[in-house]
Amino acid sequence: MAQFSLPQNSKIEVGNYFKDKTNSKNLRKINVYRWDPSTGKNPRVDTFEVDMDNCGPKVLDILFKIKNEIDPSLTFRRSCAHGVCGSCAMNIDGINGLACIKSHSDTNGDLNIYPLPHLKVVKDLIGDLSTLYKQYESIQPWLKVDQTGQEKTELKQSQKDREKLDGYYECILCACCSTSCPSYWWNGEKYLGPAVLLQAYRWINDSRDGDKKERLKKVADELKLYRCHTIMNCTNSCPKGLNPAKAIGSIKKMLATS
Amino acid sequence: MQNNNPLSPHLQIYKWHISSLLSITHRVVGVINFFALMVICFWAISLFFGENFYRSFEIVLNTFFGKFLIISLCWTFSFQILNEIRHLVWDAGFGFDLKVAKISGVVTLIGSFILTILFYLVGRNFF
Repeated sequence: MAQFSLPQNSKIEVGNYFKDKTNSKNLRKINVYRWDPSTGKNPRVDTFEVDMDNCGPKVLDILFKIKNEIDPSLTFRRSCAHGVCGSCAMNIDGINGLACIKSHSDTNGDLNIYPLPHLKVVKDLIGDLSTLYKQYESIQPWLKVDQTGQEKTELKQSQKDREKLDGYYECILCACCSTSCPSYWWNGEKYLGPAVLLQAYRWINDSRDGDKKERLKKVADELKLYRCHTIMNCTNSCPKGLNPAKAIGSIKKMLATS
Repeated sequence: MQNNNPLSPHLQIYKWHISSLLSITHRVVGVINFFALMVICFWAISLFFGENFYRSFEIVLNTFFGKFLIISLCWTFSFQILNEIRHLVWDAGFGFDLKVAKISGVVTLIGSFILTILFYLVGRNFF
């Protein structure tokens, strides 16, 4: 049975309040989830008053402003800041997304920022994604061909076959979708989750791949695949506008018709 | 290695979408319908135990609570049927588009109430 409430050591406490020191008139309260492994205390939510007149347009800009000007201990992942690397995936105002491409003006009132849901927290806004990476490895995300070493011929792909990968190859594995899925919350160890299944479909659907049947067989499992109940939180949260629910649906359909 | 790090909040903070809301409703309603079907079967079986037994069932169903129950069950079955059609269409590979899924969700919800009213009127010999 899934545990719907948070375990005792994960209960969130009220944290510190950082009052504005700039005397700005355009203030916004930013609530940020904090947890420091060195203290041994429960996680807390700190509130920062941020001067929005001197802040960039994205949520990541706010986080940087807090880190640079208010509390340098705030920890989060980021790399490209252009929505390509997927490092800054987090829960912004109740929906997963990338902090670097999410405008803070899209949301009203206080801004709540949490790490991706239902992960073991490493520190502050950083969640541990190692289970997801292991599952990604399990679907063997590389081209498998029957060719031996000697006859290395070019694998050609028609434009039409290439188009079949549109909407799937763009996935940046930010884990926004997988960590938004209630099924993945309750069965994260066994159910592969939308991100990995979308990737699985990307390889199944590749005309150059010679292992389609084996791939389908591997994924056809009560727990690995059929824990998807089309809740569609994944598609709702994907920052790249992809449709993992459709990919999973396509795999199910392939299995039903093959 | 035991990982004693805290678990990040999930249900507590995640925003509801129409699709997720209907999904959980579908499941809850499914469980309710399972028990409802047992009651309906029992009602039918009660015929075998004679008229008195059957009548006592009818008295319970004719109370305010009984009527409320029956109308509620009309809704749960309507909802289940319509949402199941939605799932069937998904299984056939259509309607995954975010906009379409939202619209079909709203249609399901509104349709379930319309169907409930229809069931009620048909049951009352309105037509």
